Amino acid sequence: MSERVFRALVVGLLLALVALPLYWILDTSFKTGRQILMSQAIYVPRPFTIENYSYLFEETRFALWLRNSALTAVASTALSLVMGAAGAYALTRLRFAGRRTFGALVLITYLVPPGLMFIPLYQTFIQIGYTNSLGTLILAYPTFLVPFVTWLLMGFFRSIPRELEEAALVDGATRLQTLRRIVLPLAAPGLLAAGLFCFTLSWNEFLYALIFIADDNLRTLPVGLSEFVVSDFAFWGQLMAAAALASLPVVLVYIYLHKYMVGGLTAGAVKG
Amino acid sequence: MSKVLTESAPAAPRARGLAWHRQNRVQERALAYALIAPLALLILLLIAYPFVNAIWLSLTEKMVGYPAHFVGFKNYVTLWESARFRIVAWNSVVYTVGSISAKVVIGLAMAVALHKAVRGNQLLRGFLLLPWVIPTVVIALTWRWLLDLYRGLVNVGLHDLGIISAGIHWLGNPDLAMLSVIMANVWRGFPFFGVSFLAAMQTVPQDLYDAASVDGASAWQQFWRISLPSIKGVVAIVTLLSTIWTLNDFNIVYIMTRGGPGAATHIFATYSYELGIQSQRWGLAMAASMYSLPLIALLIVFVVRYLHREEPAS
Repeated sequence: MSERVFRALVVGLLLALVALPLYWILDTSFKTGRQILMSQAIYVPRPFTIENYSYLFEETRFALWLRNSALTAVASTALSLVMGAAGAYALTRLRFAGRRTFGALVLITYLVPPGLMFIPLYQTFIQIGYTNSLGTLILAYPTFLVPFVTWLLMGFFRSIPRELEEAALVDGATRLQTLRRIVLPLAAPGLLAAGLFCFTLSWNEFLYALIFIADDNLRTLPVGLSEFVVSDFAFWGQLMAAAALASLPVVLVYIYLHKYMVGGLTAGAVKG
Repeated sequence: MSKVLTESAPAAPRARGLAWHRQNRVQERALAYALIAPLALLILLLIAYPFVNAIWLSLTEKMVGYPAHFVGFKNYVTLWESARFRIVAWNSVVYTVGSISAKVVIGLAMAVALHKAVRGNQLLRGFLLLPWVIPTVVIALTWRWLLDLYRGLVNVGLHDLGIISAGIHWLGNPDLAMLSVIMANVWRGFPFFGVSFLAAMQTVPQDLYDAASVDGASAWQQFWRISLPSIKGVVAIVTLLSTIWTLNDFNIVYIMTRGGPGAATHIFATYSYELGIQSQRWGLAMAASMYSLPLIALLIVFVVRYLHREEPAS
């Protein structure tokens, strides 16, 4: 088998592998309940309907989940960016005792899997007496977002020439001024990438949201979606419509961002 | 920093004298501590403290509403002797090894196939990365529906192609259920592997391949002798990172099978959930989480050492 045929074959197989499940989501979401139940027209929605989508907004708390997810994702992203940028600046540009140790600690923190942390963290929130609020999630998400932001921004800060800052310092600017006027504007693409990453990770987060929140009105999208499935039965049409809508924001973010995402992210995001 | 400062701009600091310089150093340190304080506080309160507390609780018997009392290693012994926990530990290993080896193989195939393709490469790569972007919950639900016994695309498709005559009970048969959760996990994760490998492969100078071609090396030989050796570092780091997280994965299994049928797909995190959240047996749940810790800690040490070596000295 020639090399070119092999390549084309692999690319074709991978495309099909990725495309089929995605098509299945859209296909199901535009079918009527009857078509799905009777297994009519498996491969194409015929008749084509958007009733599953309207059902979500009229008959379920989908809009509320959407709001909760957006609120949580935006707030935890903002918090993480501020903490991460400050930390990354100190770790790359300032000299202080324990800098290397602290850098390693941040990296270790990033690697600790949520699957190991969720019960200890839940226990801690119970002790503080702060569970069952979106605020719980907004505080919990930075535990995996901030180390990631710090690590990512350290790379960006390193690429900014020190000479620019030094010139400003010599001219009498304070450290904080150089951070605000020189470093942050130059690191803007990095901040944007980190921010959108955080948003995606928060938006997709499931485990903490499942455990820490008991109130139906405070559910985020992934948890709301997971509870569509009642025992072995599910309204697959509505569920797939919800799946498509829940994926839409992160897919849009990604279309805009994917050149950043593909680039140098070795320690990047296998996580989540 | 201030050393560089004196070198690059000697006039100003010298004019200001040594006292100014020392004060500057103190200010720099104060600013550094102020900047890392929020981050340090977060790590201390929401990672370090819960973690130490978890180790303590794993040595106690703790029920809701009662204070914890110390029982030594009783929880660990109980788990060790429990047949269910052993199944869980074994399942976690099968799930991790199965998922990651498939991801490495498919990821390598993807990287090789995309490596020399020129036109539409960016678009193609972008599309293939979609599974890595969309929420895991969506993926798990979609795979559950894809594998539905009577109406799922997989069974209907295989039937219509004449490959099977009756529906396959993907999520009802213990072995197939494990295969199913692995498939969903691989679908989600292989694009990231592929893109990472591809990025590493593209740093290899084209001359090497050209020279090999001139010397008559086949594509297969070029892969084994040039591509693979030059990306082995990235393969190792991606595999390590993924192992850490897959061993403690939760979402896919919880949504697709809840650990079932029986305990056929139960893994560490779903089992901790069962013990801690459903049965409210905190001590046991913590102990179950802690069992994977030595291995996780070892893997984390590897990754940290590797990344620190890569990191340019600043």
